[in-house]
Amino acid sequence: MISPVKIWRNQKHIAKQLGQTGKIISWSLIRVPPEGFSEQAPYPIAVVELTGKAKILAQVVDWKINELHRGQKVKTVVRKTIEATQDGVIPYGIKVKPI
Amino acid sequence: MNITVLGTGMTVFGERWETSPRALARDAVKQAIVDSGCEHKHIQALYVANMLSGMLGMQGHLGALFAEELGLSVPAYTVEGACASGGLAIHTAVLGIMSGQYDTVLVLGVEKMTDHKPEQVSSALMGAGSNEERLAGATFPGLYAILTRSHMEAYGTTEKALASVAVKNHYHASLNPKAQFQKSITVEAVLRSSCVADPLKLLDCSPVTDGAAAVILSKRKTNTGVSIIASQVASDTLGIAERESLTTLIASTRASEKAFIQSGVSQKDIQVVEVHDCFTIAEILALEDMGFVKKGEVGNRISEGEFTLGKAKQVVVNSSGGLKACGHPVGATGVKQIVEITNQLRGRCKSRQISNARVGLTHNVGGTGATAVVHILRKDTI
Repeated sequence: MISPVKIWRNQKHIAKQLGQTGKIISWSLIRVPPEGFSEQAPYPIAVVELTGKAKILAQVVDWKINELHRGQKVKTVVRKTIEATQDGVIPYGIKVKPI
Repeated sequence: MNITVLGTGMTVFGERWETSPRALARDAVKQAIVDSGCEHKHIQALYVANMLSGMLGMQGHLGALFAEELGLSVPAYTVEGACASGGLAIHTAVLGIMSGQYDTVLVLGVEKMTDHKPEQVSSALMGAGSNEERLAGATFPGLYAILTRSHMEAYGTTEKALASVAVKNHYHASLNPKAQFQKSITVEAVLRSSCVADPLKLLDCSPVTDGAAAVILSKRKTNTGVSIIASQVASDTLGIAERESLTTLIASTRASEKAFIQSGVSQKDIQVVEVHDCFTIAEILALEDMGFVKKGEVGNRISEGEFTLGKAKQVVVNSSGGLKACGHPVGATGVKQIVEITNQLRGRCKSRQISNARVGLTHNVGGTGATAVVHILRKDTI
């Protein structure tokens, strides 16, 4: 599982990625999730091109099926990513939300 | 290059509940040694290809482990490059011979996947992706599904064209007594199968497989041999988001271009290829990215039988059944591809033999194309 130290180190980078907008380039709907994601499935993941041209791969949250398409505008938000570790540290990360 | 494939062996691929990784390795290596005419004392080094043993089985140090198991007191290495571990181990072994350090070496690819729960296997396989992909809850079917959707939008590739890859490879596997799925399927069955990651369905995906494959390589020439005439590797970004294109695995292009230059052969000289069809889209990408067909054209040509045994005009693709139907024990796959092509070039494939096969190619991919390994093999003329 993810070490609490790694979670702490990664969380320093979250703020920089917040409040950005972009658009979906391509997506899929994950129906068979990996360990730690079963409560969230099915959920979409997407390659998103941010306004600054950088591309990220992120989970899509608060979505409707008609919002899953190329060109859909999204913004970055902070969300819990995966079940908490045995140490009780909740990992947060960047996801995207249709706007 | 002057590398001979002296002998090959592989286990039956499938759900081998009763068999340990050690037993799988012994089975494959025994066949390779008998086939090569070598004795243990001739083998000077061991290269073990594996991806998941450390993560799933908590067992690392596989070079030493299998050297002991096989009774070989020789230098032993573990090579890991995700699903390209096998191809990468072959490449590393080739370098070992080319360096002058060794004359004859053994490459063993081995993977035991069914001992673990599917979601654990899925998470461990994501070790081949980027941290960003893991945090997003991505899976390999999901990442290849993203590539699939982009390919569909760019080139009009249909779900039926994807399904035709699975149909062809299952047909080939029905002729392979070592394949995991020795049965034919229909396009309708693929389209009806449950969705794993839209638009990829269960029968678009390669299975979870146990298996081992072994190859003995040497600089020694034989009368009935097969030679490796090119061995090349290329890399790309670990994650797909950082790439310029979502419809090309550029590492496949780069590795194949180098291999064609190294060997002096081109696509039209090749009669048989084993490509990395971990998902149906991956076979389409492989044939396009290595220049066997133009981008966007391959889908319909597969359904028309252009790459099927008995119907192929120029080149048969995945005569073993590929990863899709022969099975995909990830670390063993790249070694198995060399086994299949060698057996085709030696005329040993019985009901799935390609007549007049003289030159073959293997294409092994790690992750979503962060590693690509291409080998070209030629039947030696006496």
